[in-house]
Amino acid sequence: MSSRTVDAQDCAIVARGLTKRYGQLTVLDGVDLEIGHGEFVVLVGPSGSGKSTVLHLIAALEPADGGELIVAGQALHRHARGMSRFRRREIGIVFQLHNLIPRLTARENVEAAMFGTHRGHRERTDRATELLERLDLADRADERPTTMSGGERQRVAVARALANEPKVLLADEPTGSLDTASADIVLEIFAELIAGGTTILAVSHDARLNAHANRLVPIVAGKTEPAAP
Amino acid sequence: MTFFGLILRQIHARPLRALLTAGAVAIGVSAVVALGVLTASLKLTATQLLEVGRADFTVAQKHTDDLINSTISEDDMAAIGRVPGVSRAVGALISTDNYNADNPLLIEVGLKPSDQEPFGVDILAGKSYAADSTSDVMLGYVLAKNIGKQVGDNLVIDGNTYHVTGLYSTNVSFGNSTVMFPLSKLQGMNRLAGQVSLGFVQVDKGASIKDVAKRIDETFPQLTTIRSAADFGRADRNLTLISAANTGGSILAAMIAITGVLNTSLLSFFERIREFGIYRSIGWTRRRVIGLVIGEALVVSFAGAFIGILLGWVTINVLEQLRQLRGIFVPTYQSSIFIRSLAFGMIVAFFGALYPALRAAFVAPLKAVRRE
Repeated sequence: MSSRTVDAQDCAIVARGLTKRYGQLTVLDGVDLEIGHGEFVVLVGPSGSGKSTVLHLIAALEPADGGELIVAGQALHRHARGMSRFRRREIGIVFQLHNLIPRLTARENVEAAMFGTHRGHRERTDRATELLERLDLADRADERPTTMSGGERQRVAVARALANEPKVLLADEPTGSLDTASADIVLEIFAELIAGGTTILAVSHDARLNAHANRLVPIVAGKTEPAAP
Repeated sequence: MTFFGLILRQIHARPLRALLTAGAVAIGVSAVVALGVLTASLKLTATQLLEVGRADFTVAQKHTDDLINSTISEDDMAAIGRVPGVSRAVGALISTDNYNADNPLLIEVGLKPSDQEPFGVDILAGKSYAADSTSDVMLGYVLAKNIGKQVGDNLVIDGNTYHVTGLYSTNVSFGNSTVMFPLSKLQGMNRLAGQVSLGFVQVDKGASIKDVAKRIDETFPQLTTIRSAADFGRADRNLTLISAANTGGSILAAMIAITGVLNTSLLSFFERIREFGIYRSIGWTRRRVIGLVIGEALVVSFAGAFIGILLGWVTINVLEQLRQLRGIFVPTYQSSIFIRSLAFGMIVAFFGALYPALRAAFVAPLKAVRRE
């Protein structure tokens, strides 16, 4: 995929001078990002550079200490009320460690993300089944994550993130634990989402994924660097 | 999957935890059921005593420890009979005696033959004793059947032999299990010459029962009128104490059950912090997380409450077999006790799970999902 110029008015994600500290440790020290609707951007950089923290701030899982952050039209730097609704409706997140509920089946894990939406329980079940089929997990839908391989769990996590048709999909190493065939399925889905206008921001060290991105944004020591040519 | 389905799924996933929570609620509910039935039954037994006399209201000595220990002089009874609005005032002496191991608390009623009809006594067989008889008695027909006696038989009470002259029934079932003596004989046996325990008052037709009772209350400050079970505590301190013990016992049971639910819910919360963080990170509201935790507790407690009701019923049956309670304790199962017990289980679940639910709702999603 080729990179493209992004108009600031047409951004799904805008971050300006984003900072985050944990005690004395400064994790982010001026992150600037502008990502357009339907763009696929990958944050790259060494471990500990703050890539995952950027995803967490964008997902409103924790507040930034400074700077400005607007996601899907919502100013998160003010960290107003209604963050649950924002996470449920606007964002889908795939965690690096999957974070599935071990006592629920794959289908139930996907369905759990749809509580509090307009979907009734049959619709939730149908949607979860459809997503798992799409990710080649139809025969594993009633299995618990504890009986699944890392790759299968990762795909369940992707299905859960897509359950509510988010405007912005955040993915932390979404293909990191996948074999080639599974990674291809995920990349295929990502391509469909981008075509449908979904914005994807991923953190990845996987060259297969990075090759499909519109842009790679390097983060080094908590700061965004100009993209490599 | 419905939200309720998710609740059931979570309960099913932790059967031991659910069992412990249900157990805590069951113990509390069984205590509430047993105490409730016991109190209601004792109250009913006691208030039936008041209803024997086919009266508009009963008169007793104020603040006695037990209604049977109430004493009213026959002169006062005669004076009550002269109070405006009073049609008739009958005095009866009540006492108890040990008949045998199966009937350790035989209730004896001392009544003049002339007062039997207004008192509601209907002689079914034989005839009444004479007013001055010292060796004749009548038996309630239920008691007669229980002890295998009939008209003409003799029976021995406290070493004295009495001749059964008749069998009777009264307007309430309680009276059918009593033995009736001439008033003077029972007064002599109890060294209460000229005294009765209770007065049974009928008012004139058209007169206000309330006004007549008030007049008696004002005229005889040492006495109290009892028109309903609610008034009973003014005369009988024991019943007031039993009611208080019931309330106190129920509060204690609630505290034990709440502590049990709180303990298991809190342990469950610590086990599931990561899970709650995941729910929050995928967009669950705090309210939904609270709903999940309290929902689980309510469902488990509902099951626990049913088990508790069953345990309470078993406890009541055991109590009923105790010799000390025979004759006093006849279980009375009121639906209100069971409804109250179920409500108790739900309240216990709500308050026991509230704190863990709030803790779960306010976990920081990211910190929680990072937990191993």
